[in-house]
Amino acid sequence: MAGRSMLKQVLGAVVAATIVLWLANLLTQGDKATGAGWVLYFVGAVLVMAIYLFFAARPIWQVNTREVVMMAIGAVLYGVFSWATNVFQLPSVSFVSLRPAVAIPIFMGLAFGPVVGFFSGLVGNILGDALTGWGVYPVWDLGNGLMGLIPGLLHAWPNADERVRVTKKVLLWVSGLMVLFVVLTVLFPQVEHPWAGTTAGQWTPVLLILLVAILLVAWWALRAQPDVAAAVVWGALGVIVGMGFASIADIWVNGYSVATAIIGEFLPAAGTNLVFDIVLVPILYAAYQNARQRTGR
Amino acid sequence: MLVTWAYKPRNTLIQRLDPRARLIFTACAMLAVILVWDLRWLLAWLAFALLTYRAARLTWKETRRFWLVVLPLITFLVLITALTGRGGEEAYQTTHPLFTLAIGPWRWVISVEQVVFAAAQFARMLTLATLGLLIPFTIHPAHYGVAFRGLGLNDKFAVATDLAFRLVPSVARDFQTTLDAQRARGYELERKGAGLIRQIRNLAPLIVPVTIQAILNGEDIIDAMDLRAFGAKPRRTWLVELRYRPADYALIALGLLVLGGTLAAKAAGYGAFWVPPALLGG
Repeated sequence: MAGRSMLKQVLGAVVAATIVLWLANLLTQGDKATGAGWVLYFVGAVLVMAIYLFFAARPIWQVNTREVVMMAIGAVLYGVFSWATNVFQLPSVSFVSLRPAVAIPIFMGLAFGPVVGFFSGLVGNILGDALTGWGVYPVWDLGNGLMGLIPGLLHAWPNADERVRVTKKVLLWVSGLMVLFVVLTVLFPQVEHPWAGTTAGQWTPVLLILLVAILLVAWWALRAQPDVAAAVVWGALGVIVGMGFASIADIWVNGYSVATAIIGEFLPAAGTNLVFDIVLVPILYAAYQNARQRTGR
Repeated sequence: MLVTWAYKPRNTLIQRLDPRARLIFTACAMLAVILVWDLRWLLAWLAFALLTYRAARLTWKETRRFWLVVLPLITFLVLITALTGRGGEEAYQTTHPLFTLAIGPWRWVISVEQVVFAAAQFARMLTLATLGLLIPFTIHPAHYGVAFRGLGLNDKFAVATDLAFRLVPSVARDFQTTLDAQRARGYELERKGAGLIRQIRNLAPLIVPVTIQAILNGEDIIDAMDLRAFGAKPRRTWLVELRYRPADYALIALGLLVLGGTLAAKAAGYGAFWVPPALLGG
């Protein structure tokens, strides 16, 4: 890919994310805003519809018997595994829990398509929170749904070469966004009422390590195992978009400031989810491909 | 493979209500609960939830496992909030110190607001847990799909949601069986001295077999559904027919009224975090 085009892609990702954050800060006047949280539920639904309309011409939205059953199975697996690990809370400003189970909706989207991924994330999160007794949090349910839907969009490119080409573009977007978040942790070293004295600056090395890990895994896997690279990169994009939506929505839903939402919620949620994406999704994907070969289905 | 919820058929007022009306009311009630932080309102909701639990005539023996998991978890989360003050910053800005808790080298200054917020949070979480508990124990498993269909969900999504509810006990059982089987082979969920990546990879022997087994079992369900011509016609018939009665309409109206009233009250400035004046010494 030409150097100039690559630079445009990275800058494009950084500029787009910056505009969103600047708008959020402007609308909230850098301070908390409440009372308009319900709007975000519609914004989330519009976002999902926009993604659907953009890819409407592609044959990835069919829901047959297989998709119906896999939606149910994905939702149950995510709900049960989430319930089992919801007790492990992360240092954050709200109930952000350690969730290795995020590999499930990402994997279900990759294996069975965006509808299955979206349902697994959305309904699975509702089930997991309900089983834990936490109630319903629509923006986080939508965020988890997006986390499963985005990887499923890979099915829009059935040709292997096209998939590699698109995955490289997505990798640039993911890298650009992560660089932006590293910069944010440096610009906003403190969040309001941090847990046990932690600061946002502590996330900087974690984010840098994650960025390098994603780049290394993708660079190696794109040559030898393009499917694994696609799984990791698209999963990473799903995590950033899904958790990003839910965290930014909390600016209005919970009245957080922009810094609190990004540093206090997004980084703990997306940071750990990215680790699970890099480690667990390739293992699940390889096990599934093996099982398919053995059973012939 | 299918293991059902511990549904107990009883001729109670709760179970005679249409499941659609109950789902609508429960959703409205849960939304209304999470909109407020006033301890008085939350205690009233908790009393209502416990009354409903009593009216459903569920016994301690039937729901023991649920309470033994949920109660310690809620208590743990509330204690953490109370000790650190985290999460309360959205509800209160000024604090009035009540006492200092010292355990070894650690010291926490506990304020009146932290204690009241913790009580409100406990009431809120317990209310949501109780309202949520009633659904699987008092709705017939065969009624989930038709109820979701009746609420406007597409046939295929209604079946998927129905299947998801039915599969929860089965998958939970498979999860426990797999964990026990792996432990018999020397598997340790938490490996001492292992790094972060190693610990995460250590989850794979648990997550991968349960996931792949569930997917492979799902193929049997797919075959069974295809053999019964699932999806052959655009509109699916259901074995159970649900019909609203006056009590169901009243319940739906009550749910919408409660939610609407809570939203209106919140817009007018009510329902916010409240501290008993007696605790402030005023």
